Amino acid sequence: MISMTKKRFREKTLPAAIMVGPVTLWLILLVAVPLIYILVMSFCSIDEFYNVTFHFTVDNYKHLADASYIKIYVQSLVIALLTTVICILVAYPFTYIIARTKSRFKSLLYMLVIIPFWTNSLIRIYGWKSFLGTSGWLNSVLMKLHIISQPLDLLFKQGTTVFGMVYCLFPFMVLPLYTAIGKLDSTLLEASSDLGAKGWKTFLTVVLPLTASGIFSGCIMVFIPCLGYFFVSNILGGGNSDVIGNLIERQFKSGNNWPLGAALSIILIVITLVLVKLYQKTGGDMDSLGV
Amino acid sequence: MMRYGKRVMSVMLSLALLGTSVSLTGCGSSKKAENGELNLFIWTEYVPDSVISDFEKEYGIKVNVSTFSSNEDMLAKVKSEDEGTYDIVQPSDYMVESMIKQGMLEKLDQDALTNLSNIGKQYLDPSYDPGNVYSVPYQGGVAAIGVNTDKVKTDIKGYKDLFDGSLKGQIVALDDYRAVIGMTERSMGLSMNETDKSQLSKVSDKLLTLKDNIAVYDSDSPKSSLISGDCNVSYCWAAEIALAMEENSAIKIVFPEEGAYKFIDNWAISKGAKNFDNAMKFINYMCDDKVAGKVIEEFPYLNVNEKAVAANKDYSENEAKNIPADVFEKGEFVTNLDTDTLKVYNDMWNKLKN
Repeated sequence: MISMTKKRFREKTLPAAIMVGPVTLWLILLVAVPLIYILVMSFCSIDEFYNVTFHFTVDNYKHLADASYIKIYVQSLVIALLTTVICILVAYPFTYIIARTKSRFKSLLYMLVIIPFWTNSLIRIYGWKSFLGTSGWLNSVLMKLHIISQPLDLLFKQGTTVFGMVYCLFPFMVLPLYTAIGKLDSTLLEASSDLGAKGWKTFLTVVLPLTASGIFSGCIMVFIPCLGYFFVSNILGGGNSDVIGNLIERQFKSGNNWPLGAALSIILIVITLVLVKLYQKTGGDMDSLGV
Repeated sequence: MMRYGKRVMSVMLSLALLGTSVSLTGCGSSKKAENGELNLFIWTEYVPDSVISDFEKEYGIKVNVSTFSSNEDMLAKVKSEDEGTYDIVQPSDYMVESMIKQGMLEKLDQDALTNLSNIGKQYLDPSYDPGNVYSVPYQGGVAAIGVNTDKVKTDIKGYKDLFDGSLKGQIVALDDYRAVIGMTERSMGLSMNETDKSQLSKVSDKLLTLKDNIAVYDSDSPKSSLISGDCNVSYCWAAEIALAMEENSAIKIVFPEEGAYKFIDNWAISKGAKNFDNAMKFINYMCDDKVAGKVIEEFPYLNVNEKAVAANKDYSENEAKNIPADVFEKGEFVTNLDTDTLKVYNDMWNKLKN
């Protein structure tokens, strides 16, 4: 009997524990515990020195319904939506060409999308700031070529924030689209053409439905980070077009109200979960989100 | 304070520091100094490296430096570490007061402060630490107005002029709610630490009229926007304006007639410091006029060491660096707000930022 349990332990439990144990520990320590910590903190209050004290309150959540906060949520959603739409419009034809090309430069083109990833996005955003500035490269070159007489005022606008977001998140739209378009069976396109469908009809009735999953996962991967990329709106938007990420950052730093920041983080997590759930409901594949 | 130098810079510096601390622990035992150690927790780019290494050589004390870039970061870090992890901290005025109230600072050994007489009288016995029981001032400054006189023809005299309609989209301001709200309050003749609700709702309305004038909020390097020409007016630390003035002679500094937002950063010893005597030696060393002279050469902030200031004409005659005594006298420190008022200030700031 004892040898049976021993054998069972050696052959079933031990390997399972070794295989699953580290991952479970990792998830508990680095995902579950911090999330629970934030959830608990969001119901705490602060004392006169702004220390977090464990005094239960729902005031933080009530406070989040304040008009000035709601305006920032709306602004965030508008920025995220614009970014996502622009990303689709630019990335789709771009990826389609790369994914379907027979050229020997195919993998090189694909690499060109990935390479900027190797530099920290904060540094790239600073690069754009000095490029777009009044005395930046772009304005200097345009003035030298006498295309403009006055420097263009490009920085510190909501549009600049959207531009920066599109720039940062563009690869996240390209990658899932690349997979989806790559899988497209070209015989289906030939069949469509044989049956007399014109180019746009083939696109709408064959290509688009077959690549919809790529578009969906791209949207999720662009839209959600957009709500949190506070450094883009800080540096390129000049702090004039806050996203939810800015609100959270501020509460944890100068605002000195960690519980309020925690409550905001919970709201952001809820928004994310709702969007992912919607994605699943519409037939999205969780694997293609890379999660 | 990290009033100049970009965030990128601080990231690179902290990486460099990480590198040095690793290499130091690698050969630590052989380099052990005869008179023990000293652990500093100071602002990024605020104390010259040469001054610290001179101190190490002169006293045979090994100095370990950690840095922070905001008072709030410092406070959170000190609280999260074991007591006595850091010997010396460098809080600003309001933070000194808060740390004293929370029992986080040690009383200084006044007898060890033989160089205190070098410090200007106007900086001693401050409201945040009467009698300098816990802190000794180091450097300070005011939030002033920088104007590119080539581009701006409006006569700017004070904070109230920043609300002028002609400055639409031309101002770079500190990304700091106490600074911007405080400036608005002072422009209305109120205190920067106003708590009265009905006054604050007027402040909120006034603040919204500033919205269109501010092109960018930037605390890391506001001088950049002024130098590059992206903005023609800045509301930022005088030290930043001093650096911008060196780049472009058309840039002038204006000290607000309403009295400026001022600050002083201080030396203090954290509770339970393991190297108290070494810490006192260091603080006294920093008050030495020759040492302060080196600090003056490296940093454009207001130096409180009167003797050192008098010895450096270039510095003492530059009013953007050596803030005139009457300007500093007329200025106001921020103080900690009660939690209800804090919320009102935060909400006001949110309204401005969308």
